[in-house]
Amino acid sequence: MATMVSSASGLLAMLNESHPALKLHALINLNTCVDYFWHEISTSVPIIESLSEDEEFDQRQLAALVASKVFYHLGELNDALSYALSAGPLFDVSEDSDYVHAILAKAIDEYAIFKTKAAESNQEAEKVDPRLEAIVERMLWKCILDQKFQQAIGIAIECRRLDKLEEAITRSDNIPVTLDYCINLAHSFVTLKEYRSEVLRVIVKVFQSLPDPDYLRICQRLMSLDESAGVAMILEKLLQSEQDDALMAFQIAFDLVDNERQAFLLSVKGRFPDPVLRPTENSQLVSNDEPGSVQSGSSLAANDQVAASEDIQMSDGANAPRGIVVEADEERYNERVAKLKGILSGETVIKLTLQFLYSNNRSDLLILKTIKQSVEMRNSVCHSATIYANAIMHAGTTVDTFLRENLDWLSRATNWAKFSATAGLGVIHKGHLQQGRSLMAPYLPQSGTAGGGSPYSEGGALYALGLIHANHGEGIKQFLRDSLRSTNVEVIQHGACLGLGLAALGTADEEIYDDIKNVLYTDSAVAGEAAGIGMGLLMVGTASEKASEMLAYAHETQHEKIIRGLALGIALTVYGREEEADTLIEQMTRDQDPILRYGGMYALAMAYRGTANNKAIRQLLHFAVSDVSDDVRRTAVLALGFVLSSEPEQTPRIVSLLSESYNPHVRYGAAMAVGISCAGTGLSEAISLLEPLTSDVVDFVRQGALIAMAMVMIQTSETCDSRVGSFRRQLEKIILDKHEDTMSKMGAILASGILDAGGRNVTIRLLSKNRHDKVTAVVGLAVFSQFWYWYPLIYFISLAFSPTAFIGLNYDINVPKFELLSNAKPSLFEYPKPTTPPAATSAVKLPTAVLSTSAKAKARAKKDADQKANAEKLTEDSISASQKGKSPPEKDGDSMMQVDGSSSSVEKKVTPEPEPTFEILTNPARVVPAQEKYIKFLEDSRYSPVSLAPSGFVLLKDLQPEDAEVLSLHLTDTPYSIMAPASTTAAQQGPPPAAAMAVDEEPQPPQPFEYTP
Amino acid sequence: MDPKLTEVVQSFERFKAALVRNDLETSNNLLSQLKVMLTGFRSLPPLLEETPNSVQELTIARDIYERAVVLSVKAEDQDAFERDFFQLKPYYVDTAGRLPPSAQEYPILGLNLLRLLVQNRIAEFHTELEILSPGAMENLCIKHAVELEQSFMEGAYNRVLSARKTVPHETYVYFMDLLAKTVRDEIAGCSEKAYDYLSLADAKQMLMLSSDKELSAYVTEERPDWEIKNGVVYFQKAKESAPCKEIPSMPLINQTLSYARELERII
Repeated sequence: MATMVSSASGLLAMLNESHPALKLHALINLNTCVDYFWHEISTSVPIIESLSEDEEFDQRQLAALVASKVFYHLGELNDALSYALSAGPLFDVSEDSDYVHAILAKAIDEYAIFKTKAAESNQEAEKVDPRLEAIVERMLWKCILDQKFQQAIGIAIECRRLDKLEEAITRSDNIPVTLDYCINLAHSFVTLKEYRSEVLRVIVKVFQSLPDPDYLRICQRLMSLDESAGVAMILEKLLQSEQDDALMAFQIAFDLVDNERQAFLLSVKGRFPDPVLRPTENSQLVSNDEPGSVQSGSSLAANDQVAASEDIQMSDGANAPRGIVVEADEERYNERVAKLKGILSGETVIKLTLQFLYSNNRSDLLILKTIKQSVEMRNSVCHSATIYANAIMHAGTTVDTFLRENLDWLSRATNWAKFSATAGLGVIHKGHLQQGRSLMAPYLPQSGTAGGGSPYSEGGALYALGLIHANHGEGIKQFLRDSLRSTNVEVIQHGACLGLGLAALGTADEEIYDDIKNVLYTDSAVAGEAAGIGMGLLMVGTASEKASEMLAYAHETQHEKIIRGLALGIALTVYGREEEADTLIEQMTRDQDPILRYGGMYALAMAYRGTANNKAIRQLLHFAVSDVSDDVRRTAVLALGFVLSSEPEQTPRIVSLLSESYNPHVRYGAAMAVGISCAGTGLSEAISLLEPLTSDVVDFVRQGALIAMAMVMIQTSETCDSRVGSFRRQLEKIILDKHEDTMSKMGAILASGILDAGGRNVTIRLLSKNRHDKVTAVVGLAVFSQFWYWYPLIYFISLAFSPTAFIGLNYDINVPKFELLSNAKPSLFEYPKPTTPPAATSAVKLPTAVLSTSAKAKARAKKDADQKANAEKLTEDSISASQKGKSPPEKDGDSMMQVDGSSSSVEKKVTPEPEPTFEILTNPARVVPAQEKYIKFLEDSRYSPVSLAPSGFVLLKDLQPEDAEVLSLHLTDTPYSIMAPASTTAAQQGPPPAAAMAVDEEPQPPQPFEYTP
Repeated sequence: MDPKLTEVVQSFERFKAALVRNDLETSNNLLSQLKVMLTGFRSLPPLLEETPNSVQELTIARDIYERAVVLSVKAEDQDAFERDFFQLKPYYVDTAGRLPPSAQEYPILGLNLLRLLVQNRIAEFHTELEILSPGAMENLCIKHAVELEQSFMEGAYNRVLSARKTVPHETYVYFMDLLAKTVRDEIAGCSEKAYDYLSLADAKQMLMLSSDKELSAYVTEERPDWEIKNGVVYFQKAKESAPCKEIPSMPLINQTLSYARELERII
């Protein structure tokens, strides 16, 4: 073009000419220069529009295209789109111009909105404009042809064109990667649950059509769809083929268990046939999976059998046709089924976890000791806070040394404090399924001998049983029910309701529900509150009709406690239901009663947990700033933490403004929200946000911030983030400061408990490895956050703890010796160093000289022990966190004798060397979440992992099956080692433990024990 | 010479002849054909490509459109005038460097200004004026239009009417006649606002109409909302019908309240 015209007015004038050739000439020229003169043309758009609608004008499409471009420049995308559609083939999808991009985007948006609407209203009446559909399909085709599969998938998902989605996936060059992308998309962008299921179904279909399907992933998807039949079919197929496939089946089972969907797991388990040779099989099952229970009495085994037979009845119909198995394979198959069932029931996992936590327990008793000494005896809040902290620190480790050592001190807990103290045992022995009942026996209500113990310890014991059996309560449900029915003491009812709720979490058992409901209808405040929560726990995620029943009673009753319990309970019932829960949420959030609105916040949190759903966030933020009740505002902010738990990086940003609110409740909520969603991440932004709050002017904000900080920093070492160290010192300072408020002191004590939770081998995780939400963990934290009103609920945090371990398992579900590489400095992820005994200055402050001397004596003893322990630590069988990169010195893991022998030589090597950049971990190993990305499997190892997960349970394929295996953790074959924690505790208990805790009497002197730092 | 161009030149000659004969129909037909033929030249706006014959083509196209404008005035067709003028304009603006200026340029520009004045499109009038070079303002044709506009704005309507006698070009007469009507409409609009009623005599004088008959004809044709009763012209009806603007009180109150609420919500 030689020169540019300065105006399009000439062309526009030409449009008004009567001769069609002139109009056409004008249009053609306008079409080329519309990008420069659209402002001039815009005034003449009516003429162009009328041309495009003129039936007699043969270039209508051209006119439409020009009009469309003008509207595009005017920002009227709707008009632009409709004219672009009229332009038909003249609108070139492949043209690379802003106009085409914008119109295409608009077209796809429109189409997606239209399709979504059509899907929601379930009406086919409205037909999509076929031209629009054609454009979108043209676009999809283009994407697929251009190898832009991600785009195509995105468009297809958004437009609800599952047919195209499938096509895009199957045509892509790298199907597994595309599928991964698709799955991520389905989980993070598809907000409607129903539609997500449809997408997942398509994905599963594609997966299954692959020549070499990835069963792990298929099963994960099937689990999201709640299709237990499909999973069972795959597992069965795998079990019946080669050994490697069986390993895969076990791996799948472990991964499924990791997601904690009890109902689903039960249903999968129920679909497996009962072995044909029933008696032998049962004994095999028992000997394989429950070696401990042989001693612990037949009742448990019997219970299991009952449960098993129930399961079988359920699945009888499904199993009928699969009767015929080749005789030779039968036994092998049966054995595998038994193993699989053991895994699915969660028992194997729990047992291994327990074993791991016990043997790797590194809790620092000195911290507790310091706390205990600095806390005033008469201050019952801090006193019980110390008990809570102890329970949390030793959660799941079965180590109750501290309690045992301080029975006298413990006896000061009276009434509800005694309730919590007893319940604390449940946290410590969490997962100790076989021994749980006998451990708690001394405190349990004794039928027959009325008035044996205090109702507080009896109630606490029932609660403790619930905690031990949380989410795996098949064996204990009946007992708890009986206890509930046989009492009318409200404290015991309280404990029993909580215990039942925990044990029967999410099972929606009608009979249990009725039992708890009866308690509720007695209208006793204390029992009613627990009943409300218990009902919620029982009905987690069922969205059953029961919710309205509960709501009705909440309106009826006078007791705030009951209303609160029910409000939380109702919230729990809608767990994970997303938009299905909207009606109930609406109803609750509009209620007159602030407590029910408060429940509504929890309902929002539960229904939209981990979805980062924009609507829910908006609603919560709205309540956070506009509700009149402080409680509701606090909870609304706190609930954000749950909704955002899948995207912890977002939370600090979203609540940062709220954390500077003038309202302390909102600040508290902000702190807890960050604590919940960023739990276990050690996220730097989260810590920066919480830091100022830990020195807030209001005491309860400090408390919340300290607890939240501990939740965020759990398992973060000082080397990773130096603020961890200063936070520990801050906690110590607060605890030692005599003038500190009780509230923040309690926060500090709890925080030190959480920081070192589970012998430092657990973290708080709301998402499983496969980014599914963990029901138990989320529910646990939700109820935990209720401790604002009711301290004993603090123990619910133990539900959120998950061990940070890599546990490799062989075909026999044993833990073989296996090594893996952590490609990072060992100091980054090692345990915190044990605290040194308090210096003389702090000892002087203490009231009696006795304590200071004992402390010194302790110090001396400790120093010796330390040196020894340090050496031991290096070579200890389980974990080699501090092992300094040298090839592992020990040749066998389970002999302590040899370790002692080699320790001195190792010690010499250790000190002068610069820190290596990698370390070798030995199975089972502690792998903290931040460490996972550094984990590598050694290539020349004897075993090769079935899945490349850096943590959790991983099945190992034995590449040299002919060699004898060396086991680093004996489990199924040596009953003694599994009995170790139990038997030692039993031995230590020596005298009837009832007397030990029966606080009114003179406490027994502590039994001798071995101090392991 | 390009055969296409020769063809155009021949048709143009016939068109010119028809125009001189005042044979409007023939000229219109010829013009239409010419315009279609012109679309075949790539050297013309908006493409403005450099071709060997571009100067001749541009010149002849300009001539054609200039004649087209004159034709539209003769045909007393304002729409055609506007169309042709706009198509002509690029030849003045965008090809200034390549063609010698046309003798007809200023008369036609002045004519266009006059047209805008007649159609009472004062804003566009001034826009056009701004585009012109300072030298152009000295041109008689342009000056005439500018002076007319000034008188028009001042309200010196008598000067406007008398200017008819001093037209610089014979084509201007048509628009000057139209201008008188525009002036009358303007006066009528003002009187409507200024008076509730006027006596017939006053109204006649004001609107510069010579007889009662003309007045009543004007009223029935142009101002159906006026009323002639008892020798008096009432403008009332027009006033009443003017809608009074209502204050949107409810939305305003709502908005204010919502602001207040937002303020309270400061977190």
